[in-house]
Amino acid sequence: MRRAPYAAALLLAAVVHVPASAHTVDPVPPLDFEPPPAGSYVLNRIMQAPDGEVLGVDGRVRRLSAFTRERITLLGFIYTTCVDPEGCPLAYRVFEMLSDTLAETPALRDRVRLVTLSFDPARDPPSAMRRYAGSRLRDDRGVPWYFLTTRSARELLPLVDGFGQDVRYTIDRSNGRARRELSHVLKVFLIDRRGVVREIYSSAFLHPRTVLNDIETLLIED
Amino acid sequence: MMTRARLPGIVALGAMVTLLTGLADPLMARADETCNSPYISKLITGQENYVYVWTLGVEGLGDGSDKLVTVDVNPKSKRYGKVLGSVSVGTRGEAHHMGFTDDRRFIWAGGLAEPTIYVFDIATDPAKPKLVRTITDMAERTGYLGPHTYYAMPGRMLVQALSNTKDKGGVTGMGLYNNKGEFIASYPMPTDGGGDGYGYDLAVNPKKNVLLTSSFTGYANYMRPLGELVKDAEAMKKFGGTMAIWDLKAMKPKRVFAVPGAPLEIRWSLDPKDNWAVTAAALTSKIWLVKPDGKDGWQVKDVATIGDPAKIPLPVDISITRDGKGLWVNTFMDGKTRYFDLSNPEAPVQTYEKVTGKQVNMISQSWDGRRVYVTSSLLANWDKGGDDNEQFLRGFAWDGRELTPTFDVDFTKEKLGRAHHMKLGSKSLRASPPAR
Repeated sequence: MRRAPYAAALLLAAVVHVPASAHTVDPVPPLDFEPPPAGSYVLNRIMQAPDGEVLGVDGRVRRLSAFTRERITLLGFIYTTCVDPEGCPLAYRVFEMLSDTLAETPALRDRVRLVTLSFDPARDPPSAMRRYAGSRLRDDRGVPWYFLTTRSARELLPLVDGFGQDVRYTIDRSNGRARRELSHVLKVFLIDRRGVVREIYSSAFLHPRTVLNDIETLLIED
Repeated sequence: MMTRARLPGIVALGAMVTLLTGLADPLMARADETCNSPYISKLITGQENYVYVWTLGVEGLGDGSDKLVTVDVNPKSKRYGKVLGSVSVGTRGEAHHMGFTDDRRFIWAGGLAEPTIYVFDIATDPAKPKLVRTITDMAERTGYLGPHTYYAMPGRMLVQALSNTKDKGGVTGMGLYNNKGEFIASYPMPTDGGGDGYGYDLAVNPKKNVLLTSSFTGYANYMRPLGELVKDAEAMKKFGGTMAIWDLKAMKPKRVFAVPGAPLEIRWSLDPKDNWAVTAAALTSKIWLVKPDGKDGWQVKDVATIGDPAKIPLPVDISITRDGKGLWVNTFMDGKTRYFDLSNPEAPVQTYEKVTGKQVNMISQSWDGRRVYVTSSLLANWDKGGDDNEQFLRGFAWDGRELTPTFDVDFTKEKLGRAHHMKLGSKSLRASPPAR
């Protein structure tokens, strides 16, 4: 597939101009290097994406594999009360920018999906995920963006273990009251059409330009 | 194409002097809280509870096997400065370095005499690491031998080897595994464009999409008794003399730099405003700076001398402070721990030194820089003999002016072995399940 310069230009504009969002986060800083051109490098087959039962915002039970096959998938774990600026809000911001860019790029729009999966089933039932998604749920312009959760930790555990997404409790007493927080290393997973994880991004290098490059690399591979 | 790095005559002579005095070498490690992969987010910014010491087994001492030793280093603990326990791997394979996975739940460790990698769980109970996996396919998958550096990548571990199974020389490469221990890919060290194919350490600067590698020597040299090695002129030519800069995303070498004398540990400045790294060349006793050249490329510069190179002090490990303003350097031969002011990385200045042992190797520091830990062993066949063969983990307090001893664990008396690489641990990193 030919690289879509229009998509890159759109993305650059999105990085520079950050519109207001319900998820208040700092703008994504500009990339400090020129990434290698899409298709000039190989994305390794890191591992098979795990499968298990998840809940959509409508409360219906689905298999996660329904959201990790056929299209290229960008999947990130979040919890809706996360406030770490280098954690879930950063992931949301990058997803949002990619969503806007992909929506304007027909060659990419129909071949990619975004998935946001909560790892806090106790506080993130489908209704919470619906609120978290906000207007994105009603955005039918282009790339699908799914907001998923699980019924219980028992159903969540095989998924976080399978992805290697570490998460644990911490107690924040900085404000005088014990407050439960989930401590985790931000990871976002790029999954190919066969359900194989091909890249894992952490906050140190999660940037919409590199993600877009990688998506295009997978499309070229196809 | 450049031929394999040749040792300067002065170095060969110095190595001979070293032999006559009983010992020498080059080698060493990545340790401490300030020298981890940038993909490890759970740094211990307060008081650490434990130092994990990857320890070489010694025949006839204890069970004689390599082992991971846990030492209590919290001054408030009743067992401060005491060994809490050890996990033996049941073999003796020249235990050397180790590294955390990106989630800091596991330590990967290995030996230079074998292609085996051991994975320890340090999250279930940080005071009692458990051996949970042994990875044995590195040689079969890559042809590389002697896994050395374990560098966490997101969900993966990049392993730099020192040698190869074919001729056991220094031409080698890196193996990439996922965190489950499944092999993904291998990357040979560059042998064109001036590359010697050798490997030692690696370090990433994610902001610049850069991977930096250094070079040492192969199994045939590092497993050989030092006395023999330094008499073998041909063998002494087979030390690395290069660093390579890679496109991290593409995992392709972009350029090779000549850095004579076995450049070992690589430390990027942790100051977010900086984009430079330093290394120490063991055989030439030099500090080198790697920095952008202002034209979208990189350059290397010899910026300081460590001790008297003619005496071959052998800088074997370095540890950078969290602000990038200071650098600890351990020199094996003279047993000194030196501090360099790095305020101007173009011209580091030594401001302090202290003999911390009859032989010293690894050095690690806490995140705040107030606690410094030193171990003793370089390689089984290169450590000093007789009374000079001290084997220890020593703790020090650093107030910016003086290193003050705080505890001393005698690894021989404890029947543990040769103390080598260190990593810090904390009770607070105990794993707990997600929401239920």
